[in-house]
Amino acid sequence: MTSKRDTAASFEWLLLISVFVVATCGLIYELVAGTLASYLLGDSVTQFSTIIGTYLFAMGIGSYLSKFLRSNLLSWFITIELLVGMVGGFSAGVLFILFEQVVYFRVILYALVVLTGTLVGLELPLLMRILKDRIEFSDLVSRIFTFDYIGALFASLLFPLIFIPYLGLLRTSFFFGFLNVSVAWVVAYRFKEDIRAYPRLKWSSIICLLLLATGFIFSEKLTALSETLTYPDKIVYAKSSPYQRIVLTRGVNDWRLFLNGNLQFSSLDEYRYHEALIHPGMSRLKNPENILVLGGGDGMAVREILKYPSVKKITLVDLDPSVTTLFRSNATLQKLNEHSLSSAKVSVINQDAFVWIRGQEKLFDFITIDFPDPSNYSLGKLYTTSFYRELHRILAPGGCLVIQSTSPFVARKSFWIIDATLHKAGFDTQPYHCYVPSFGEWGFVLAFEKQPEETYHFPNGLKFVNEASVAQLYNFPPDMSAVESAYNTLNNQVLVNTFEKEWADYTR
Amino acid sequence: MITRRNFVTRMAQGVGASLMLPALQHCSSQPHYTAHTAGANAQLGHRLRTMDFGKPTSSQQTDVVIVGGGVAGLSAARILKKQTNNFVLLEMAEETGGNSLGGSNALTSYPWGAHYLPLPNANDPELTAFLRESNVITGYENGLPVFNEYYLCFDPKERLLINQYWQEGLVPREGVPAKDREEIERFLSMMHDFKNKKGSDGREAFMIPVAESSQDPELLQWDNISMEEFLKQHQFASPYLKWYVNYCCADDFGSSLADTSAWAGIHYFASRKGHGANATSDAVLTWPEGNFWLVKQLRQPVHNHIRTNTLVYTISETSQGVDVTCFDAKTNSSLVIHARSVIMATPQFVTQRLLQTPRVIDYKTFHYAPWMVANITTTAGLAEKKGEPLSWDNVFYGSQSLGYVNAMNQHTGLSGPEKIITYYHPMLGADAAVLRNQAYKTTPDEWTNTILADLKVAHHDIEKYITDINIWIWGHGMIKPSPGFMWSDNRRNAGRALNKKIFFAHSDLSGLSIFEEAFYQGHTAAHALLTES
Repeated sequence: MTSKRDTAASFEWLLLISVFVVATCGLIYELVAGTLASYLLGDSVTQFSTIIGTYLFAMGIGSYLSKFLRSNLLSWFITIELLVGMVGGFSAGVLFILFEQVVYFRVILYALVVLTGTLVGLELPLLMRILKDRIEFSDLVSRIFTFDYIGALFASLLFPLIFIPYLGLLRTSFFFGFLNVSVAWVVAYRFKEDIRAYPRLKWSSIICLLLLATGFIFSEKLTALSETLTYPDKIVYAKSSPYQRIVLTRGVNDWRLFLNGNLQFSSLDEYRYHEALIHPGMSRLKNPENILVLGGGDGMAVREILKYPSVKKITLVDLDPSVTTLFRSNATLQKLNEHSLSSAKVSVINQDAFVWIRGQEKLFDFITIDFPDPSNYSLGKLYTTSFYRELHRILAPGGCLVIQSTSPFVARKSFWIIDATLHKAGFDTQPYHCYVPSFGEWGFVLAFEKQPEETYHFPNGLKFVNEASVAQLYNFPPDMSAVESAYNTLNNQVLVNTFEKEWADYTR
Repeated sequence: MITRRNFVTRMAQGVGASLMLPALQHCSSQPHYTAHTAGANAQLGHRLRTMDFGKPTSSQQTDVVIVGGGVAGLSAARILKKQTNNFVLLEMAEETGGNSLGGSNALTSYPWGAHYLPLPNANDPELTAFLRESNVITGYENGLPVFNEYYLCFDPKERLLINQYWQEGLVPREGVPAKDREEIERFLSMMHDFKNKKGSDGREAFMIPVAESSQDPELLQWDNISMEEFLKQHQFASPYLKWYVNYCCADDFGSSLADTSAWAGIHYFASRKGHGANATSDAVLTWPEGNFWLVKQLRQPVHNHIRTNTLVYTISETSQGVDVTCFDAKTNSSLVIHARSVIMATPQFVTQRLLQTPRVIDYKTFHYAPWMVANITTTAGLAEKKGEPLSWDNVFYGSQSLGYVNAMNQHTGLSGPEKIITYYHPMLGADAAVLRNQAYKTTPDEWTNTILADLKVAHHDIEKYITDINIWIWGHGMIKPSPGFMWSDNRRNAGRALNKKIFFAHSDLSGLSIFEEAFYQGHTAAHALLTES
């Protein structure tokens, strides 16, 4: 007698626990879809509202459809659990991969939401019918809905607080798929005598679990495959060169170039950056002829330099032929740099700047250094006393050079380390900064043996730099002003460590 | 199973026969790799045991013969060259360099042996002068040398894989219990005190060159016990500390805690007092090819005096001077060189066989640690554990090896995914002869398995990226400063010149196999020769 009552009780508990898990998983899938839609498509209010609405409506469809399932209810319940686990578990991964490949992404997104919702909607009615003869109706309704809502609370709290921060979107979705399928398997095992299709369900469960576990393990690779989270706009060009990942995006009103995920320019305001990079130094030189550009393979700095008729030759040294080729061949980009890289005055050398400069004997009147920020040890070498001494060696008497020097607002110490390093290498400097909306506050350091006179001969047609605005660039407000700094050498690389810390603190 | 390794051409074995394993020959999908055994001319060197050279067929005359073209021999040549052109340096191997050899391929140069020089102490003016000549020291500021920044080890310098994390620096810290960290601190501060200590004779307690260290018996007595015993006597029991000190002994001496003299062990921590205007005393000088770079600087001005592939097999005093008989491996003939004096820049286990003049030296107390060095080429970015990125020196806590050095760390250019790493494995143990035998008997396949098992702890996927493994066995890699050896009469007497005609110069006479000692031995012997003979 006792054993029979125990069996009945454990049966009931098992099914109620599965209600709880099913409810948790159901809500998680909904949250995953909503989050993903707002990540990928933007406008989170719209995305969340429409996803939740669609999902709830689909659950209604599922509930309606449940009446067509007449026999083998337990077997159906388990099958649906398996399906929910697979569809829900893989939904995030599938959406991630398809986002870049498919034009009708929204159609797929909502189709998946409808499918998951329908399957989840089938679950509770089926369970209620399975339990209806074993538990009194009022008890049944009360318990099922209690567990359903507790599960919902559980999911909605854990999702933002634990799962997204620690597991990430993809792994969370695989994890709950796994949980869902596990419940199916446990229920199937518990009732294996009552279910004729048990062997089939058992093997299906095992296969589903293996697939979900594989997905879970390779989630990171999947995320890496998908760049969509990094870029707010549509990717129109993406290529991996041996040195970096080049991505060009097109937004509503601008083009953006990213190297390794870092914004290089927005077509909307790049003129501010490039005018500020070139003209405060170059317009003070008397008839500069030989110009060197290190980095800057997009040709924008060259475009500004070509505005000086005295220029005879521009040598552009950029490591990556993929960048210089792209900016020499793509029509839109050529329009941006005004075909500067095709000018007869320009020779492009695709070589490592440090290696190149050590073998260089010729002198240059003006040198522009537009390297990526010193975010790793390899790049950090290009900001050392050793590198700057090489620059000093090839700078013609009376010439000057300018270095893009990251943001003096975000990375104030880093900026002044660059300045101190130039001093250590024997230069005198004149640091300055300007505001570039897509970048924020940005800094440059002008370096020279002897400061060129402050008489500017600006070319016509500049949009940002003129006599009045240039005077303001040299003024550093207290939140960016000079700080006592160490200098960066090959054997201490203080800049890389400082830079990393400052940007991490800022973006945290 | 080794799958994607694609091994490069075998290097010539000098006159020796190929050591390619028969098992590898019939199966083209199997890896092919190069095994160097004890330098290219081990076979030639081993003929000193049989002495089957035939009678000399020609003779020459010169003032001075330097026997051996390692760092000591080259350093002696550097001094002679400043005074005379009448000398010759004889080297058994295909090129000079001793255990500071290096190699190169399309990607980079890399070391085969010694690979760095700590900032030199100020008390060897010859060393400082040499570094000035080779532009390692570019000038002076406030009396301190300014070191060439291209030669100071670039950052990131050292990392240690411990508790699944790459920490910065080699002193164990990450996940080390507080108690052990305190012990490590106590040890390091004790070593710091030794560094500043002066002996009763007023000299610095521990110095490079060793010969300039204090002779205070209080200090020299540390030579009588092992470093292991020293730690015990001072209640140091932390396994982390022991691992670290053992690592240091292995790194500099090729010997373990148990068979390193405590004096030498302390010397490791307490003798480096060099400073630079632009570098602190923990900085080191290094090059992609390691100390082979220094060797090239040393040999360039004297290259006309160097005769390679030439094995000296007897050195006998005559009434006028010294007769040096040698075998030219290229022409397969013997010749005798009549010299006024000789500098024997050979290790004592070789000197013993060449020198016909009897000496009361117990050569058996000179022990040499065998080493295995492997240069490994990998194609792609290796999987990395969390923590510091690839550094110059990369060490695994608890490993038998010394880890590996990134040969491309001193490149100024951005490096691609391809790397060459130089892996160091000293064979630690009491009986060097047994270990040496074992090192020679170990097949390249077995060595490869040992290396991969060790490297996989840090980079689990390394095997599929390896394209090449080159293995070099140094049978007599380094003199071992065994307890009692450093300050034995035996070691001191082995360096005494004979009848103002035969002079001795080798790092084993210092008891420590480091560049500074070899260099010191060389110029001291040369100066003595120039003044005495």
